[in-house]
Amino acid sequence: MEMLVVLIPVSIVLIAIAGAVFLWAVNNNQFEELDKHGLDILEDDAGDKS
Amino acid sequence: MTVSTINVPDMHCSACSSKIRAALANLTGVEATYFNPSRRQVLVEHEADIGALELLKRIESAGFNPVLSGVEFHDEQQKELLKRLGIAGLSMMQVMMAAVALYSGALSGMDEAYRRLLEYTSLIFCIPVIGYSAMPFFIGALKAVRTGINMDVPIALAISIAFGTSLNATLSGTGEVYYDSVVMFTFLLLGARYIDSRLQQRFSSTSASLAGLPMLATRLTAGVRESVRVPDISPGEHLWVGEGDQIPVDGQLQSAAALTDEALLSGESDWVRKHHGDTLWAGSVNRGAGFEMTSSAAVDASRIADIATLADRAALERTPTAVLADRVAAWFIPTILLLATATFCVWHIIEPARALVAALTVLVVSCPCALSLATPAALTAAMTRLRDAGAVFTRSAALEQLATIDLALIDKTGTLTVHEPKLQNTELLDDHFAEARVLELAGALQQHSAHPYAKAFPTTAAVHLSDVQVVTGSGVRGVWDDRTQQHSVRIGSAGFCGSAAAAGAATDDDRAVYLTVDDRLVARFLISDEVRADAHQAIRRLRELNIRPIMLSGDSEQRCRELACVLGIDYLSRQTPETKLDYLRAQSAAGHRTLMLGDGINDVPVLAGADVSATVLEASDLVKSKADVLLLTRRLAPLPELITVARRTMTITRQNLFWALAYNLTAIPIAAMGWMPPWLAALGMASSSTLVMFNATRILR
Repeated sequence: MEMLVVLIPVSIVLIAIAGAVFLWAVNNNQFEELDKHGLDILEDDAGDKS
Repeated sequence: MTVSTINVPDMHCSACSSKIRAALANLTGVEATYFNPSRRQVLVEHEADIGALELLKRIESAGFNPVLSGVEFHDEQQKELLKRLGIAGLSMMQVMMAAVALYSGALSGMDEAYRRLLEYTSLIFCIPVIGYSAMPFFIGALKAVRTGINMDVPIALAISIAFGTSLNATLSGTGEVYYDSVVMFTFLLLGARYIDSRLQQRFSSTSASLAGLPMLATRLTAGVRESVRVPDISPGEHLWVGEGDQIPVDGQLQSAAALTDEALLSGESDWVRKHHGDTLWAGSVNRGAGFEMTSSAAVDASRIADIATLADRAALERTPTAVLADRVAAWFIPTILLLATATFCVWHIIEPARALVAALTVLVVSCPCALSLATPAALTAAMTRLRDAGAVFTRSAALEQLATIDLALIDKTGTLTVHEPKLQNTELLDDHFAEARVLELAGALQQHSAHPYAKAFPTTAAVHLSDVQVVTGSGVRGVWDDRTQQHSVRIGSAGFCGSAAAAGAATDDDRAVYLTVDDRLVARFLISDEVRADAHQAIRRLRELNIRPIMLSGDSEQRCRELACVLGIDYLSRQTPETKLDYLRAQSAAGHRTLMLGDGINDVPVLAGADVSATVLEASDLVKSKADVLLLTRRLAPLPELITVARRTMTITRQNLFWALAYNLTAIPIAAMGWMPPWLAALGMASSSTLVMFNATRILR
């Protein structure tokens, strides 16, 4: 049980990192157009029209 | 009279909208204000001499941050909401984990030291939730001090009481902590707001895509391409539309052919092949090679702008149910605050230790979100769904009426049949004239006629006519100079073309059009009305929905019978606008709820008399401005779809309202009795809101 004293602060740090990554992702529009990439494969490549 | 659309991003509840209404009401010259709480928009009808700035100032003085209409704010606002939601979610997971340990520890006995450790852990994770995620609620509540009560007040109050008590307990080392309730309450409330905002975004993205034409277009000046701002394009300019580009304004195709995607306008996914001279609609996408076009209208006079304006007007109007729900919600908040205070006072007498928790539970459990979200959410979802299916509402109250319709009156020409009649058959009755010459003559004469059949003839400039006279309802006559001599020519019904035509008329078919030259019968044309591709299916669907479709037409018995047999529809032939209206009134008096689908000016009285009126895109502007619903496709499929969606929306709205009321009526007494722990209250409150939102999104499926 004494391990908790170490593990809980470790988890706090990990969650802080996760939170920071999440904020970064939202700020960089990673959650915009979630459907887009699945449809990308259906698009013709630009410039390859022959 | 001008109409200004103002976005008020921080308008959350009915209390807010009544404040704005009050602020604008005492401004002279403001005629009416409409609200759309779910799109956070205010539509103000006012005299032209009031500037939009004045309106903004008024709304600002009521304690809001208004923005003149535009959609940009939406993305930013939603991102902000997502961040707050994500942080609250991450923290919630940690706090819940600690809470489980604390609860089981409380049962099985836990070391005081570990309990303190877990409590402090919860406190640490709670801080970002209070300090960041829940900020909008606090800000909203602080504003209420200045402007009067709103929905954020009970929320902020509940969060601060719960957090304050817990903080006190943690620091002093005695007493219960409610961190789990605080984070869950915040997370779930933000979740409901997030779904709501997604739903709005989906709606406004369909209507923003109407307004969201490209900013730049390519103009051709003496063969040189240059970029031009779309609003600067005037009619008659030469434009280049590249492969995959959106057509910026309405216009005519100059190149030989083009392939366009008009899904944005009509909801139809099939690409349309256009030929030289055909009309191109702004907003459609060029799916073929690049082409040249001439603009025929400025961007805000293009058809797409009309549709967007009509749809916006509908979105801002409110249905009777929504008005009722708002009125209930408006006195709900003060009632809740009173109830919470009463609970606190009563418990303070009975058992002071439990007073605060009981009052807190009442606050948390009774948050009126569900009640005020119930109708707008369902309505927004329904409008989005119907817009995708190709129908736009110009009056949203019509949605509620649509659900009760049991009789559909449908005009024939232009609605059941397509607007452009086809020349089915040309019968030559005189050897002196070749078919090409006959068609040229007929076309030249018919150019002057406004009769729908005139469109069936090819347009031509090869024949020179003079003294053209149009006899409405009969035909056209003129003088034709064939360079050797002058002939009098007539085109029209058998009666109009004289005895020769009457004698040669084999049948009394009013689809026949006759052409005479110098009173000699030259040709007989048979015009066919082309039935809309899926009219038959749409009629059958209407029957399945227990709606009796009836075709009303001014045409002859014989023609109506033919068409009615094909479509399987009841009909009334030889109708005038007056008899149509009489029939409609008789049916309404007999207790029927009627839908009228028509397209002509002559249908306007009937459209106005019907419970719900619908029209097609090709109809004249007057008809479009009177109709409640506008069908954007060349098909009739949206018609039964309208009814299904309307019925479903009403069911879901009723479910939502019922659920919200039933929940509040049961949960509040239980909470006031002190039988409910705060975390359960938070869960109950938020799940009721979330349930309502999810129920509304079912309409989209």
